[in-house]
Amino acid sequence: MDNLGFLFAANVFVWCGIIYYVYTLKQRNRALEKDLDLLKETLSKEG
Amino acid sequence: MMRPDGTEEKNEEGNTLVWLTGIALLMQMISIFIYVPTERTEGVIQRIMYFHVPCAWLSFFAFFVVFICSILFLWKKDREWDIYAHASAGIGVVFCSLVLITGPIWARPIWGAWWVWDARLTSTLILWLIYVAYLMLRAQSDSGSMRARYAAVLGIVGFLNIPFIHFSVLWWRTFHPQPKVITNEGIGKGMDPSMLATLGLSLFAFTLLYFLLMGERVRQEKLKDEIDHLKRKNFYSS
Repeated sequence: MDNLGFLFAANVFVWCGIIYYVYTLKQRNRALEKDLDLLKETLSKEG
Repeated sequence: MMRPDGTEEKNEEGNTLVWLTGIALLMQMISIFIYVPTERTEGVIQRIMYFHVPCAWLSFFAFFVVFICSILFLWKKDREWDIYAHASAGIGVVFCSLVLITGPIWARPIWGAWWVWDARLTSTLILWLIYVAYLMLRAQSDSGSMRARYAAVLGIVGFLNIPFIHFSVLWWRTFHPQPKVITNEGIGKGMDPSMLATLGLSLFAFTLLYFLLMGERVRQEKLKDEIDHLKRKNFYSS
């Protein structure tokens, strides 16, 4: 059980890495969707 | 309600994949920390294998998709293949980074060193550097079509390193362990059945995770394309 700290560290790195990546992906997609909607709205107003 | 563009149906498929991936990852965690026995010689630290190997598998699979999609892009000149290659490369780099982080954490207590310059570790680092260069090329260069072509060539050349990584532990004496799943005695003969089942479950869960991430990354690239297209259309019409 000596190396439990190493196992914990590896586990934390993997899960934090995955969660951070999924979070940034979702955030970026949401921002792009907003930009697209705004752009469509502006273009439709301009005719 | 179903929309004419099939959005509702795609959302339902996406939700099913999210749930399947979530359940598979949860089962994998239960299996790693409760079900699978502790390895006799390395002890509890050997459980890192159930993250380290699936991360390596996912990154190699992602780079294989880059390889195939890059060939198809150069052949068909269809932007769709370029989108898949770019999306997959990003995922591959993230998981290759996790391999390069979890590997040294496992190595420190077992080998007494965080890093050794043996064939497996060095070639994996080179693979990571190649695909980081691929992503930098895509981010830096501004000429759309040429950028995609240069990136496709780099994506194909980079993949040629993967067979070298796989066979490096067989061709040279390395610190890194020999393959345990596919051995000369047969598939899975070098491992305890419970360990093999846990590793199989981890590989399955990470493969589902790849498809989930791929869906999001492809959507991101398509949204960027649509915004670019509308901006260009507006610029030329005004």
